Amino acid sequence: MGQNILLLTLIALPLVGFIITGIFGKKLSKLVTVSIATLAVFSAFVCALMLFNMNNKVQYVHLFNVVHFEDFKLSANFQIDSLSIWMTLIITGVGTLIHLFSIGYMYHDKGIFKFFAYLNLFIFSMLLLVLGSNYFVLFFGWEGVGICSYLLIGFHYSDEEKGIENSVAARKAFIMNRIGDVGLLFALFMLLNTFGTLEYAGIAAKINELKLSGTSLPLVAISAITICLFVAATGKSAQIPLFTWLPDAMAGPTPVSALIHAATMVTAGIYLVVRSNFLFELAPATKDIILYIGLATSLIAAFIAMRQSDIKKVLAYSTVSQLGLMFVALGMGAYTVALFHVTTHAFFKALLFLGSGSVIHAMSDEQDIRKMGGLAKKIPITHLTFLIGTLAISGFPLLSGFYSKDEILAHALMESPVLYGVLMIAVTLTAIYMFRLYFLVFHGKFRGGNELESHIHESGATMTIPLIVLAILSVFGGILNLPGIFFHDYAHWFSHYLESTTAGLNEIETHHLESSKSIMLMVAASTIAIGIMIWAYINYAKNGKLAKEDSELNAWEKLSNKKLYIDEIYNFLFVKPLELISKLIYTYFDVLLLKNGVFAIAGLIEKTGNITRKWQSGFLSSYLFWMLLSIVGLITYYVIKIQFWNY
Amino acid sequence: MELLILPLVFALISYFIPSKGVKYFGIIASLAIFAVTIGHLMNFDTKEYVSIFDPKTNLPFGLTFKLGYDSLSFILVLLVNSVVPLILLANFNKELAANKSFTALVFFMQMGLLGVFLAQDGMLFYIFWEITLIPIFLILYWFGEQNNNSVLLKFFIYTLLGSLGMLLSIIVLGISASSFDFVDMAIYGVIAPAKIACWVACGFLLAFAIKIPLFPFHTWQPSTYTTAPMAGTMLLSALMLKMALYGMIKWMIPLSFTGIPTIKWLVITLGLIGVVYGAVIAVKQTDIKKLFAYASISHVGLIAAGIMIYSTTAIEVAIIQMINHSIVAIGLFLAADIIESRTKTRELYALGGIAKLAPNFGFWFAALTFVSISVPFTAGFFGEFLLIKELFTAHWFAGFAAATTLVLGAVYMLRAYQLSMFGAPKLESFEDLKWNEILVFAILLAIAILIGLFPQCVIDFVKPSIEAIQELTAHDLKIIK
Repeated sequence: MGQNILLLTLIALPLVGFIITGIFGKKLSKLVTVSIATLAVFSAFVCALMLFNMNNKVQYVHLFNVVHFEDFKLSANFQIDSLSIWMTLIITGVGTLIHLFSIGYMYHDKGIFKFFAYLNLFIFSMLLLVLGSNYFVLFFGWEGVGICSYLLIGFHYSDEEKGIENSVAARKAFIMNRIGDVGLLFALFMLLNTFGTLEYAGIAAKINELKLSGTSLPLVAISAITICLFVAATGKSAQIPLFTWLPDAMAGPTPVSALIHAATMVTAGIYLVVRSNFLFELAPATKDIILYIGLATSLIAAFIAMRQSDIKKVLAYSTVSQLGLMFVALGMGAYTVALFHVTTHAFFKALLFLGSGSVIHAMSDEQDIRKMGGLAKKIPITHLTFLIGTLAISGFPLLSGFYSKDEILAHALMESPVLYGVLMIAVTLTAIYMFRLYFLVFHGKFRGGNELESHIHESGATMTIPLIVLAILSVFGGILNLPGIFFHDYAHWFSHYLESTTAGLNEIETHHLESSKSIMLMVAASTIAIGIMIWAYINYAKNGKLAKEDSELNAWEKLSNKKLYIDEIYNFLFVKPLELISKLIYTYFDVLLLKNGVFAIAGLIEKTGNITRKWQSGFLSSYLFWMLLSIVGLITYYVIKIQFWNY
Repeated sequence: MELLILPLVFALISYFIPSKGVKYFGIIASLAIFAVTIGHLMNFDTKEYVSIFDPKTNLPFGLTFKLGYDSLSFILVLLVNSVVPLILLANFNKELAANKSFTALVFFMQMGLLGVFLAQDGMLFYIFWEITLIPIFLILYWFGEQNNNSVLLKFFIYTLLGSLGMLLSIIVLGISASSFDFVDMAIYGVIAPAKIACWVACGFLLAFAIKIPLFPFHTWQPSTYTTAPMAGTMLLSALMLKMALYGMIKWMIPLSFTGIPTIKWLVITLGLIGVVYGAVIAVKQTDIKKLFAYASISHVGLIAAGIMIYSTTAIEVAIIQMINHSIVAIGLFLAADIIESRTKTRELYALGGIAKLAPNFGFWFAALTFVSISVPFTAGFFGEFLLIKELFTAHWFAGFAAATTLVLGAVYMLRAYQLSMFGAPKLESFEDLKWNEILVFAILLAIAILIGLFPQCVIDFVKPSIEAIQELTAHDLKIIK
């Protein structure tokens, strides 16, 4: 089978899955529906694996021109290169596991067929996003995943208690994403106007051409383009200022949080920047902006995560914080490092989310960690896998997160020690809130009451198998990109793999630290991770310290718990004014001024009519009177005129 | 010629059909007209001009009474003839469908609309333009909400006043060119002194700005849309305002070409103010029909602004967006009517949880909501994307103002949908969709998706005639220089 056909099959499979489950899902039995949806994604994964094995050069597939005008065209083109294939592997691989998990998690839901249809549609849109060979297909997928995200966050819209809340969260996510999309739209327009094409390779070629011919590059335009691209990335990847939707998006079912809001969709912004690296390399100012925004996001989100009491909210802020770290890497120009962290993060964050799903499932939909505790013995598989996830994200030595974070830290040290120092704070905070979460949930005494306790049970095989697979990946994922000090010949496989065949990705270089420094960094990172683990163990497990009730929080804890009041600030700055303006211009401008203004003009005509009408009274004497009056008037006028002016 | 005569004949026949059968007759007759249109389509080469009526004798005052179509006219004829059956179908299970006068008026209206799109003579264009006002006024008057006389009067006088401006412009052009033939008028339009051309453009603009409606000429629209019966609102928004947009492309710009640069940015600004203004007001509306009415102001403002860019691309895309707007208008006003007729209220806060009570309605309303916020795979996606691109290329701020529709559109549409459909049900029961309603929604969605996948079909179809119109103006300019 040729690569082209394989690629198209790969893209079509989830679409077919969506159509079948969407249309016939209601009629088919549950088991058949979910199997079809899961199989569709799994087959796509197999296709991706086959492509991965075959891939040794960049390959383009032209499907059709969607629109073409004299000066430009938008085409449905796809490309296979290491970057797109790698993203595809993550999407379909983690996607399959999460589909599998959802079978168990959603089995008793009436709308399960709809749920799987949406999941399939999401995978399809995401594949379009990463496999397209131009910004237009990317935009297509970009919008598509936004809609799927909307549908899935608000999945339980008719819930008696939380229905409205869920749908409001979904709407918030969609609107904030749309704001980012406007940025992407403008970037696309500017790209079209500057380069006349949206193909990645075409733009890269144009830039090379300009470079070779010695003409100056349109640097201002490129800066504007990259800033717009980054605005788009802040929307999708939940960075300052557009990050507040992601924590709210946790209203969606947990598998959705794992798939869309941790492993795949939120990394689309990183993919976008990596894909456009040749543009970003020409705009150093934008890279600085990315660096600082990423840094600020990662710190702020980590701070907020410290005192959240909802298990999923902690993980959500942790995701925002980790995404911030990836943007820091991008800001430093360490594109492969960012992608490496995307990969390991996909493993351990999906694992943590699914683990939390398993916990919530066991706890009969209770998400408050203050009501949990001592779950380690009751749900052993979930506990063990969750522990692995916690260790991986905290940077415990030799687990996947350790390597990927270490790479970012190493690059930061090369950049500046201050940056390294600030990043270390973020990393430390990560370890603190993750171990706090872990110990509060799995150790100590159960705090949810006897009735709830009797219901607790380990989840079924469809739920535990994905957990185990993800746990294994979280442990060994680091092997992909081992630092040079271990096995020198095989080190940095992933970086070299991405460097070798990525279209347009010609600016990527792998930097290496000296081994002594490298070891020093690792030791520092390990010390912090282990130190905090021991501290958290003593604090939460041994001494039985509990998460405080909202009323007991002190000043900084309250600030963290209330998410720095950012939602309230946004509400005050944007939502309320918009609503106020809407009401004001409706009542005062549209109705009072415009509508009544039109009536007033009509009324004026009517009034003049009324006045003039009185003259047509029909009485001869009245007419005579007016006639005489006019004659007298005219004569007086002329007399005065001759007497005084004309003399 | 049968394109024009058939609706008129059907309008007359419907008075002789027994009341029971009138709704079936309406559907069948409108489908017959649709079939005839398809017949024309089969024999149509997009590069041609097809004349369907040309007396060829010398009429007084330079009147020609030419009727015919090029691809631009034809796509609108096609739109009219496919939308009318849809409107009748949407109306099928309502009381109104069994009314003879109503059915007759719809066909009469169709005749007028077709006349507008087929006219190749300025005076004829004006006559048909005014003819459409009669049936729509009667539909609103007889079958609309009670006590809406003042609303109707405003609508009627407002549009009549606008048309007077257009009449003056046409007369000025016709006398100067000593012919009312479109081509002759256009040739004069190119050489006309800029000052006269500017006044002529303003005359046209008055009529079109009121009909579209452009900000600040829109005050008749929300109240008329809300008090009109469903079919009336659909006719107004899906078809009548397209006359004005079509008029801008085909009549106003070519015929007053030298005056256009003066008013170009004025119209674009008004259009874009409308985009933001309509959307901002829609954000807090609680009356669902009024909300859609303001949303419509926002959508058409974008189209009007795009047309004024007057590049080939912008106009081609504007036509896609016009079709899309018809789809959205029918779909949304149908949904609003379904809600109103079953719950007897249009207040969003009095609704809620309908999706749970009527899952089919929940699905189809959601589908149309997504079409209206221009998601990928629907016609609006390309329409908005490319219109905003053209505006952005003209001036970045125009693009920015237009792009607010992406965000605000999502805000008000999702709010309207969620308040009415989501949450806990506030009603005891809600009758789910009837077959005819599902059929209408399905057809609308199918068209939206088809155009969303293959927008090039529409573009290729209208391209020759738009290029021809543009050549007419560009070519003659060169001769003069």
